[in-house]
Amino acid sequence: MSDMTLKGATVTAAEAASRSAVLKRLRLTDTIFHGLTRVAALAVLVLLSGVIIALVIGAAPALGTFGFSFLFDESWNPVTEKFGALAPIYGTLVTSAIAMLIAVPVGLMIAFFLTELCPMVLRRPIGIAIELLAGIPSIIYGIWGLFVFAPFLQQYVQPFLIDAFGSIPVLSTLFQGPPYGIGMLTAGLILAIMVLPFVTSISRDVFDAVPPVLKEAAYGVGCTTWEVFRYVVLPFTRVGVIGGFMLGLGRALGETMAVTFVIGNAHHVSASLFAPGTTISASIANEFTEAVGDIYTSSLVALGLILFFITFIVLAIARYMLMRLQQRVG
Amino acid sequence: MTMTSTEGSNHGPSVAVPVATHASLDISKLKDKISIRNLEFFYGDSRALKSISLSLYANKATAFIGPSGCGKSTLLRVLNRMYDLYPGQRATGDVIFDGDNLLRPDQDINLLRARIGMVFQKPTPFPMTIYENVAFGVRLYENLPRAELDGRVEQALRRAALWDEVKDKLATNGQSLSGGQQQRLCIARTVAVKPEVILFDEPCSALDPISTAKIEELIDELKQDYTIVIVTHNMQQAARVSDFTAFMYLGELIEFGATATLFTTPKDKRTQAYITGRFG
Repeated sequence: MSDMTLKGATVTAAEAASRSAVLKRLRLTDTIFHGLTRVAALAVLVLLSGVIIALVIGAAPALGTFGFSFLFDESWNPVTEKFGALAPIYGTLVTSAIAMLIAVPVGLMIAFFLTELCPMVLRRPIGIAIELLAGIPSIIYGIWGLFVFAPFLQQYVQPFLIDAFGSIPVLSTLFQGPPYGIGMLTAGLILAIMVLPFVTSISRDVFDAVPPVLKEAAYGVGCTTWEVFRYVVLPFTRVGVIGGFMLGLGRALGETMAVTFVIGNAHHVSASLFAPGTTISASIANEFTEAVGDIYTSSLVALGLILFFITFIVLAIARYMLMRLQQRVG
Repeated sequence: MTMTSTEGSNHGPSVAVPVATHASLDISKLKDKISIRNLEFFYGDSRALKSISLSLYANKATAFIGPSGCGKSTLLRVLNRMYDLYPGQRATGDVIFDGDNLLRPDQDINLLRARIGMVFQKPTPFPMTIYENVAFGVRLYENLPRAELDGRVEQALRRAALWDEVKDKLATNGQSLSGGQQQRLCIARTVAVKPEVILFDEPCSALDPISTAKIEELIDELKQDYTIVIVTHNMQQAARVSDFTAFMYLGELIEFGATATLFTTPKDKRTQAYITGRFG
């Protein structure tokens, strides 16, 4: 402030005029900026409602013909034009359940190992490997699943499971029938591998955010590593972990390509996990080219609508759970 | 302990010392709870503690003082093997705890940490209810019936002078308490496990003066049942709560003795310089 005289009170008229001109210009850019952000945000709502409306209109003929029974009918017959969504819904839910059942515990263990126990030398390589796993295109999981993983399961794993659980009441139903290699279990396992990186990387990030002193305090009362993980790290991070779970579930529900390769594409509901089945997205991907009749096409769109609702419900439940958690902690 | 008259005066070795209460200390009659012999500590290649030897006496409070980076916190963290959590940190020498070298590799560290509790610089309530926070450590080692556990929790909270403030909201989250209450909750949690030694790592540095006074009072009471070790930046605090003081500088133990003696007639001129506020 040496050579400049900065005196606040004495502003000449000319200065004031030029100032207000600048302000006016700034205000205009600001207004435009406000408008653009608003349009961008509203575009999301427009797109979302556009998709819903398109799905509803497209699905109307099928839903009008079959009514509510569309949801509970297993038959899928293009010749007689009799369609029901039960098999794809069942397949979608079962394969996703298998995927989450495997990916969540494994992902949490990997994440905890990486944040707590891993020697520094290994930390980066494993972390990068996990991220690469997330970057592999699903078509590659598909061909690998079909040509490598499914035969492997057929030859080694499935016969073993049939032998091992054949005499146990409930499990024998789940693991029965000829080992085809492809089927619900294979699709679930492939999905588990695909979902694993999501669960792992989000869990790792939230585990990293646990204050070290909190963990030290838990060790300080005599906790083992498992007890620190179970009673301090997990409760502290559960909101983030649930978020990672939901993200993974969303991916598992919607995954198309890899599943289409290995699930067998049969419109059947079977108690056995070895049986071929189908999922909503796999059905649509497989059949949209050959869907000739209006009802056939409409049924596929209706499947899409159902998938939309399932993911919507999953997200809604996730939101609700997070809200409840925060209230309880709050 | 009431040492209000000396508070705030920090300009001479002859003040800030509760002479009367400590003058009667006779070291020959005291029992070693922990004996540290030729302890060296390394962060990777750098040596953070240089041949430390000192005794922590049973049912006495020992304060570690010294400027930042002198190794006082490091020394504290050796006592419950907290450094084991981090690769590259290691200690050599002997730390004899009730006749048992706690540095030996096959030491049961979890059990050790239950016997030597620790209260941290920042309050560290676990993400659970107040009740669960206190019951947590107890449950790890004892399978008490509900009524007994309730009793233990109440006892611990009373011990930590927190019971009256939280008895009607035991089911609320521990992290909803104020900072000073959280720190007392952590003390309750430590006490509930029935340790023999309690380590305090600058327990009041994140707290307001009133909470600080409460916690100091508490430490003074806890001495009856536990051996206390406290790391502090605050020399008045060391003078108020401790019976013995160790002055550390650059990883070395410069002087160790009864708090009254060390603060009134320090033998080493570095000690004198530090306690008179000339450096640190």
